[in-house]
Amino acid sequence: MKRIWIASAIAALTSVVAPLHAQLTYERLLKSEQDPGNWLTYSGSYRGWRYSPLSQMTRDNARKLKLKWVYQMQTTHTVETTPLVADGVMYFTEPPSNVLAVDATTGRQFWRYRRVTPKKANVCCGQVNRGVAVLGDRVFVGTVDAHLVALDAKTGAVLWDVEVADYRTGHSVTVAPLIVKDMVICGIGGGEYGIRGFLDAYDAASGKRRWRHWTIPAPGEPGSETWPGDSWKTGGAPTWVTGSFDPEQNLIIWGTGNPSPDWNGDNRKGDNLYSDSAIALDADTGKLKWYFQHIPHDVHDWDSVQVPVLVDDEFQGRRRKLIYWAHRNAFYYVLDRETGQFLMGKPFATQTWAKGLDEKGRPIRLPNIDPSPEGTYVWPGVQGATNWYSPSYSPLTKRLYVAVWENQGLYRKGDQEYSPGNRYIGSVPMIDLPDNPGHGAIRALNPKTGDRVWEYKLQTKPWAGLLSTAGQLVFGGSDEGHLFALDATNGKEIWRQNLGGIIRTNPISYQSQGKQVIAIAAGNSMFTFELGE
Amino acid sequence: MVRQIPPLVFAALAWAALTLTAVAQAEETPTTRNPRTSPADVAAGAKTFRSHCAPCHGLNGEGGRGPNLASGVFFHGSSDLDLLNNISDGIPSTEMPGLFYSSDRVWQVVAFVRSLGAGKGAGPKVDVASGAELFKSKGCQQCHRVNGAGGRLGPDLSEIGRIRSVEHLRAALVDPNADVRQRYWVVSLKDASGKSQEGFLMNEDSYTVQFIDLGERLHSVSKSGLKDYKVEKTSKMPSFKESLNTSELDQLVAYLSSLRPKGGTQ
Repeated sequence: MKRIWIASAIAALTSVVAPLHAQLTYERLLKSEQDPGNWLTYSGSYRGWRYSPLSQMTRDNARKLKLKWVYQMQTTHTVETTPLVADGVMYFTEPPSNVLAVDATTGRQFWRYRRVTPKKANVCCGQVNRGVAVLGDRVFVGTVDAHLVALDAKTGAVLWDVEVADYRTGHSVTVAPLIVKDMVICGIGGGEYGIRGFLDAYDAASGKRRWRHWTIPAPGEPGSETWPGDSWKTGGAPTWVTGSFDPEQNLIIWGTGNPSPDWNGDNRKGDNLYSDSAIALDADTGKLKWYFQHIPHDVHDWDSVQVPVLVDDEFQGRRRKLIYWAHRNAFYYVLDRETGQFLMGKPFATQTWAKGLDEKGRPIRLPNIDPSPEGTYVWPGVQGATNWYSPSYSPLTKRLYVAVWENQGLYRKGDQEYSPGNRYIGSVPMIDLPDNPGHGAIRALNPKTGDRVWEYKLQTKPWAGLLSTAGQLVFGGSDEGHLFALDATNGKEIWRQNLGGIIRTNPISYQSQGKQVIAIAAGNSMFTFELGE
Repeated sequence: MVRQIPPLVFAALAWAALTLTAVAQAEETPTTRNPRTSPADVAAGAKTFRSHCAPCHGLNGEGGRGPNLASGVFFHGSSDLDLLNNISDGIPSTEMPGLFYSSDRVWQVVAFVRSLGAGKGAGPKVDVASGAELFKSKGCQQCHRVNGAGGRLGPDLSEIGRIRSVEHLRAALVDPNADVRQRYWVVSLKDASGKSQEGFLMNEDSYTVQFIDLGERLHSVSKSGLKDYKVEKTSKMPSFKESLNTSELDQLVAYLSSLRPKGGTQ
């Protein structure tokens, strides 16, 4: 009996150990674009492109896509996880804050980490999680009770568990962490609870915090003059979506969220730095190198939490390090990545709040666009013209692909008093207008001009990000439950599949047994597709 | 950041809410009473409510993302202590979060919530039976179903008193076009062969539309290839502004307001 058990164990270990054997070093993360069989970071590379160099799936054969496997999660919460794939294992989160490791070839589970979360974890918009980070033999996950946890990649055992902030004051971690060198970069949520935002770096080995960058300066620090009185203590500016990293400049580039309270800015008159901004931090110290604020003194909740897309290319006559940014406020921006200088900007969706952007990129606001007690109609609506779900950039087509909302909102303004751990928002906005729900679209932009190249129209407004591939395809999803593949050059639909549940996450691509695979969560399940015969 | 909760989740939550109601009713009713019920407490509770509760429950508790709290019906327990606990701790397996407030402050919110239902929960003090007769004689049942009897073209009204205030019911009878839910928008189309169809929108995505026609037949149609397709946001229901006098209108509203699930009331 014992001999049989040992033989079985050896057989099992042989099959499991092989794919887990390779060491996932920081150097591999740096070169992830040369390792397209894996998907090692949230956006697939540090540049935030969400682009796969895999080219088996093409415009000619994508009609043959078929289901590979499905994994059904044990959750009733909205699934926003972007999976990672490392050496044959797929890691993803199951909301609120659980983690799964499954065989990327079969979908069979290796382990499941179940996080017991407190009853009173207050997350503004659902107990969600957007994914994990991996380094070495460790998997890192943030939790709705604002902890950061390191797990053994082979067993799911907890290696360390640190408190990022006090969840009882409205802090939460829903962001997928980002590995930079030997650090875990972790953002914070809580912009609807009057937190003071920050971005943290933790030692991946020990969990000890290396640095914290406050996104709202304390009195006396540069930018503090933009916060009257004590408003800086409760000013928001969270960091709830994964940013990008520029290794050459050693810069972490991250978006910050709305100032608090969201829809009543009376007690925070001023620009409210560094809310709604792109911030560039020295990766080793967390010190601010530059910033660009998309919306000074935001009163519409239009966070700058889109994934920064880092591209080196010619722009206005010379080669530059650029950032492409299609913002929730309906403007598309190009920034200089070395200085944060605004280079150009124009609307990519309908907006009625700004005449345009001035030469420094500051919005020229139109009158009567602020929230009011009786309600003010403004385009875009509260959820913006796009949001946290990822854009994609293809180096082949040199197009930026964006999931877009065409919608209007009714912005109300009310009184607000701060109390720890409670909503601090200042009104009751109407997110969807019953008579005018708006519609959605996938749009391809010429990133150098902001001009629209093509559009794939959707009946409803999408909450799913996009993936472009070397096969000249763009994959996206919708709240209608459809996963679709479009021709990256013209937006023509090539394939679609109804997955039967809302899609509120980002697709990825990886390779399994020599075949290209597309993975995305829909409903409460993770789906994978590959080419049929 | 604020994001929306998907309709399917709400459906699931609503189901869970109803299920839990039965459990709650089977338990002994606690006797703890709200110690903070003065007008000043109600006013203070209103302020807290509008900041923290109104995003889901509406400025006046009329409902929205969360249930209507102005009907006086609470599906997770109706005692003062139930309300205190639910507001304070949140409701497990729902999107209802807890407040990190002192009991005194939560009691004030309870007082405000109670004030919403005061005098409104039972509807106007008029003849419900006459309203039921009017419901039949005016032909409402041709399109509306109550407890399994009636048509299917309009909303099922079996529990309408729980989810709609008296004011909302009255407005819907007088001006049906004032608030037409997307589910009852009118679809008209002409297919490739030139055949026309009309019905009430049930679902729609980028590629297909699902609707129920006037003969209560279900259709699911691909949009590609249609010669004509439009969705109108107007109601098929006639206005009762002229055809009912004030007294009759009160009776019909009273009847509709009385349509609630069995049990669960205070």
